[in-house]
Formats: sequence, C-alpha cells, structure tokens
Amino acid sequence: MFLRHLDLTTALRPHLYDDETLLFVQDGVGLYEGKEKIPNYQNGHAYLTSHRVCYVDNNEPRKYSVAVDLKEIDRPEFYAGFLKSSAKITLFPKATKRWSVAIRSPVPKYASPSDGLLNATTTPPRSSPATPAPSSQVNATWICPICGLSNRVPPNFDPATANQHTPLPPCQACGVKPPLTTLSKAAIAAISNRPSASESSNLTSSSPATINPPIAGLCPRCTFQNHPSLNTCEVCGASLQQPSTPIERRFPSLAAAPARPESPGPTSTKTIIDDDTIETIKLSFRAGGERHFLERLRGALIQRKWLLQSAPPIPRPTGASSSPTNAQNNSGLNSPVEPTNRSNTPARTTVGIAGLEQRGAELRQNNQVVIGSAFEDLEALMTSAKEVIAMAEQFRKSSSGAGANTDGMSTEAQALLSDSASALGLATTKDMLGTGSAAENLYVTELSRNLAEFLTDDRRGVLRREGGIMSLVDLWAVFNRLRNGVELISPLDFEKAAVMWDTLHLPIRLRRFKSGLLVVQERSRTDEKTVASLLSWLRDGAHGRLEHLAGQGPPEFGRGVTAQEAAERFGWSLGVATEELEMAEEVGALCRDQSIDGVQFWENHFISTFDNADTRLGMTANLGASKV
Amino acid sequence: MDAALIARQGAVSPVPSSTFSTATTLKASTSSFSFPSPTSYPPFYTLQPNLTTRAKQLTYWSQLVVSYAQYHRLFKLSLSTPPPGLFNSPTLPRSLSPSDIRLLLDWMSEPANGSKIEWIPAASRITNSETCWVYWKSLGEWADELYAWVVEETGQKGAVLTVYELREGEQTKRCAWYGMDEDLLKKVLQVLVKRGKVQIFGQDEEAGVKFF
Repeated sequence: MFLRHLDLTTALRPHLYDDETLLFVQDGVGLYEGKEKIPNYQNGHAYLTSHRVCYVDNNEPRKYSVAVDLKEIDRPEFYAGFLKSSAKITLFPKATKRWSVAIRSPVPKYASPSDGLLNATTTPPRSSPATPAPSSQVNATWICPICGLSNRVPPNFDPATANQHTPLPPCQACGVKPPLTTLSKAAIAAISNRPSASESSNLTSSSPATINPPIAGLCPRCTFQNHPSLNTCEVCGASLQQPSTPIERRFPSLAAAPARPESPGPTSTKTIIDDDTIETIKLSFRAGGERHFLERLRGALIQRKWLLQSAPPIPRPTGASSSPTNAQNNSGLNSPVEPTNRSNTPARTTVGIAGLEQRGAELRQNNQVVIGSAFEDLEALMTSAKEVIAMAEQFRKSSSGAGANTDGMSTEAQALLSDSASALGLATTKDMLGTGSAAENLYVTELSRNLAEFLTDDRRGVLRREGGIMSLVDLWAVFNRLRNGVELISPLDFEKAAVMWDTLHLPIRLRRFKSGLLVVQERSRTDEKTVASLLSWLRDGAHGRLEHLAGQGPPEFGRGVTAQEAAERFGWSLGVATEELEMAEEVGALCRDQSIDGVQFWENHFISTFDNADTRLGMTANLGASKV
Repeated sequence: MDAALIARQGAVSPVPSSTFSTATTLKASTSSFSFPSPTSYPPFYTLQPNLTTRAKQLTYWSQLVVSYAQYHRLFKLSLSTPPPGLFNSPTLPRSLSPSDIRLLLDWMSEPANGSKIEWIPAASRITNSETCWVYWKSLGEWADELYAWVVEETGQKGAVLTVYELREGEQTKRCAWYGMDEDLLKKVLQVLVKRGKVQIFGQDEEAGVKFF
C-alpha cells in the first residue's frame, strides 16, 4: 500500500483533485503501520475525501502529510478500543495492488469542471473498468551513475511533477540515490517510446481474446522469451509487467507470491512515503469520531467516486426519435462522445442556415431534457451534477457575452455568480464533523483554514481586488454569498475562525484598528510597508498635483491627501483608508490638516524637516532684527 | 537669502515711537516679519492628535509666538483681540482656532515648557483669563537688563527714578523695555526688590524707584 506525499493548500489542508469532495475531518489521529506506531505521524488531522484518506500532521504539516488512495483500499476494519487503547480503523490494501503498479493518482488541476469533461472524452468507455493506463512506464530504466546497474524507474515517478522533494529510490546494487535529472530523463525517454507499447496494451485489455501467451513472457528490453511465471527478465532483469490482469487471473497463485521485484531495494530508509512494503495502515482515533469516519469511509468505498473521474456521463433517457442526433448534441455540450455511436449513425447532412437552425433547435431540446431530468428529484440532480455545472458554465458564457451591451449587471457580480458554481466544493460544513465536545472547536479551525484558502486563492483574488486589505464584515458577506445560501456561517463562528488564523500560523492575519474595526490582511503586509508606500506616494509631488491643491503650501512639503484619495489610489475601502492613514499618523509618519475642505493628511515634517538649520536661522533672524 | 532678510529687517527699525498696544501700528509692521517655514505647512494649523507630533508642533508654535512678540515688541497678548497675522497663515487659508490658541498658551505657560507666557488673572474667578504676558525675556532677564542699564550704563546708582521715566523716558527710548506695560515693569521691579537691589516708594505713576 502506498502512502503518498500529500500536496497541501496554503491553509494546510489537502489539495483536492477535481471532482474530489471532502467528506469528513477528524482531529487527534495517529498512524500505525501494522502494529507499530509511525514516528512523527502521531498527532494530526484525518481528512476523508471521496478519493483519499489523508493525514495532515499538526506540528509539521508540510513534512509529515500523507494520503492513501481509496482505490487501493480493499476494506476497512474497525477496532473499538479497550481501556487506554483508543479506537482504530485498519485499512487493508487490495491484493491485486502489487501487480497494477502504475496507477498514479490524478494530477491535481485547477480547472473548471468542463475541463474534466473534456478529458473524459479521451478515456475508454466504462464497459472496461481497467484502471487507466497501467504499464505505462514499465520499461523505464535508469542507469546508476556509480555502479552502472540499470534500475527500474519507480512506477509512481512522474517527470512532470517531480521536484527535489520527490523521494527517489536508491540504486538496488550500491544504494546511492540517483540525481533527479537521471531519473527524469529515463522516464521521459520511456514515455516517448511508449506509443507502440500502450497501443498494444490497449489492444490486450480491450479484447481479451487476443491475449496470447507468447507475448506474456517476452522481455520488452532484450526480447528474451522468459517463462510466463517470471516477472523479471532472466537476462537483463527488466520487469515483465505487461500481462497484468489477465495473467493474474490465469495464475492466481502468483498474486499471493511474496516476490516484489519493483520495491525499492533497501528499506532501511525511514521514509514511509511511497513505500509499498507497508501492509496495513491503522488510524488511531484519540479524540473520537471513529464511527463517523468509518461510516463515511465505507460509503465512499462503495460509491467509488474515483471511477467517475474517467467515466462517461450517465446515459440519459432519450426519446427514440432524437437518439440519432444525440451524439451531435453531446458534442455541443462538451460531453464525451462515444465513437461507436457516431460511426453507426448516418451523419445528417443539412447545410447552410437550415443546418445551423436545426443544430440550435437540437441543442435547446437537449438542454431542456437535461435540465428537466436533473431537477426531477434530488438523486437525479446529484448524478447529473457534472452536466448541470457544465451547462451553467455555458449559460454564463453566453450571458456574459450578451450582457456586455444590454445587461446592467456589474461584471463583478457576474464573476461572483460564476464563481459560485466552483465554490460548491469549497465548504467545510458542520455536517462533515462528528458530534462531541471537540467538534465545535474543530469546526472553527476548519472554517478558519477554509477562509485562509479562500483568501489566498489566486483565481479569486479576493484580497487583491480590495487592495490587499478588507474589512471582516465585507469578507463575511462575500464568503457567505459564495455559499449560495446553504450552510451559512454565523457571525460568531466567523469571528472565532478569523481569530484562529494566528494560532494556526496561516498566511492571513486579522488586524484590529484603533477604532475597533477588524480587517483581514495578508501576513506579509505590515504597517511599515503601508507607511512606506503612503509616504512615497505623498512625496511624489509631480503626480496628481491638482489645480485646487496648487498654492497650498510650497512643494517641498509634498501634498496633502484625503482618505478618499488614498482609497482610490490603493483600492481600499474608505473605512480602511481612514484607518490606515490614522495608523500612519499614530506612528508619526503623517500628520493631519483639518480645514473646511475636510481632513487632509500630510507627511510629517514636524519631526524632521523643521529641525534643520534653515528654520532656526529664520527664527533667529527675527530675533536679531528686533533687537536693533 | 538670509542675509538679505536681515538687511531688510534692519532697514525697518527704528520702531515707531508710539506704543504697541494699538492694532493699527502692528498691522503696518506685519509684512516685515518673516514667518518661519512651518507657517506655510498646512498641518501646522491643526492641532495634531499624535502626542509626539503635537509636542513638536507646540514647540514650533511657542517659538513663533515668542519671536513674533519680540519682533513686534509685544508684551501682552489678548485672546479676544489676538494680534493679526500671528495665528493666521500668511500664505494659506488656515488659522489656529481660538480653542487651540488657548491650549497652546496653556502649554506655553507651563514651567516645563519654558514659562513663555503667564496668564493675567481674570477679574472674576468664573471666567477664564483672556490676557497673558508674553515673556520673550523672562522676568529675571528683564531685571538683570534693567539693573545693568541703570547702574552700569547710566551710572544712576542711588538715584531715584520714576516708573514713568523707566517706561517712556527719553533716555530709555533705545532700550528693549521701552513702552513696557506698567504692570509688567512693576513685576520686573518686584524681582529686583526681592534681590534687595531696588526700593519702591509711592504709588502708580508717581512711584519712585531707588536702585542700590
């Protein structure tokens, strides 16, 4: 079973893949391998998602965070706990796992759901539930620069995503870890050679009848014909992974064989990540919540959401008359097209305006069907969520295209509206947490992380739009609006969550101004930086020196600005601008000029400028003159 | 430029012989007073909320008031009829508000800030004082100067002079205290009395002062 390294968001929560949803969170969880505790993995959050079980350490989240893909889990086993021993859930890996080595978790992507649909078009239909592209890198080998032995590139190694933090397997002979570039080159070379190999493997998987034993033992590297029961080449040592599933079926005894040629040799390395020698993983629930976790884990194992990722949409009920045109409609919807379907139907050849009109009519009809069936009942809505979201996306595009000239709706509001669809998967709700005394606290911390993610999300740029600072109330409004009126956050919880940023060491901070106004800011933005930017703006006399300001004081004093001007200049809200200016005044960088026009802020020349000799001379000149 | 300023100011003197209590003469000489640079800085006319900044600001104001009073030989400041130009900016549409003026003078009256002014007690206890002495020289300095002039410069030790003589006599025309308010002069003389260098006979204008 593989414990994979886990990508974390800025808020130190697992990075969810497309289509992945968070199901449950539990604090106070430790990890066991077999019966042994795994050091450094003893106090953390357990996140159950539709695809994975994740462990995020409380103390060193970036270092000690791992995930197990649900698809590798055969079954969970529950242990209720006894006396001082806390309740545990044991995860047993699938036995076949050892053979289908090349399953890689999907690369996390930031993309609209429609992208996921696009990708789905290239995947095979559901009828063959083979895991996507096994044996893709079976032939990849790297030559050890020390001893010259050709080792196998580990199946989970992906040259596209690998970096210096990726754990590399040491050479099997000399135990020296290879440089990353060696491994990457080998993997890329293998991939570039792949097309022919993958083609053949597709052939074998899609049509079991064509499998013939001669291929089974043929070494892909040296073409030596090995015995079918061997899994490494006798001559060159290359692994013979090609005949994965069929062979297993044929030789069930092999599945139980302990041989693991592909395991990285020396297991002395302490890292547990990507170590497939781990037999079972145990989660110890020291703060309770195990029953909910188990219940939802079982649910997730049954639902198998990860399969959906590559699955075509649910076949929709269609009238007999419209079925031939269905394929064309699908393409309009960005949804997968089954090639067989298209080839079977005689393509309708209507051209010109009539053809366009007909296509439009078909599209509308199809949309009607989808919407109609989707809202029939809740179950249907959930199964066709993908399509509905895709359609919403499409509607948005068309409406924003048309809205440019007709609609009075502001672009910002439109952006909010469109964001709301992708925000569906964002929230941690109270529903995801167990009951108990600790649950409330956990809810607040999760909400706090949620908020931090929301704020640092570059796609939204919530903070950036507000000039890097926004009031807590504004944030509350925006955040709740994004929740689409579901699972709204109470102001009390919200404030609690905001206060938690500091204790959780998140990159956002809550700041209280003198007047009591609470604002949200990135941690990197300090008062000094704000003051510096204000001062440089004020000193920049040439810029924006308006007519009505001209004559107000000689230019050596810079210029005065109102809160309004500062708000416009820095993109702050008026209240924030006032507070920032007063903060700068408080530290002595600015001073105010109150007149009929209102309050203007100037650079503080009292402290430095008037102390210079010139002024003194001016004063003494008067003193001297009067004496005469 | 500073040299030019001084030269220009030098040309104005000698000061008019009439007293400085009337506003008309003050106005005539306002133009020649060179205001220090803070007066063309708008925030100078708003009392700063930041205490550090405010302390600096008040220091500059104190300097301005003292040098203004010295230039115009102003001994007494009245809040009801403040000298024109002092609390208004010469270049900006700004002025110090009356309440801020009072705050400034209160600040100046404190010993910690140099006791540059002293409130003249009001007639009744209920109302606040409206006038104050401006000490562009402290009472001690005035006393020293007066004594030095009488005893060393004019050699009148042991002679008896009238207060009027000291204030507006022909001989004192070139002295700094020429035209000083009678009450203020008496305060100065009181300082000398305490030092045992002066004896005062009689009352008011006819009072005689004997220097030892």
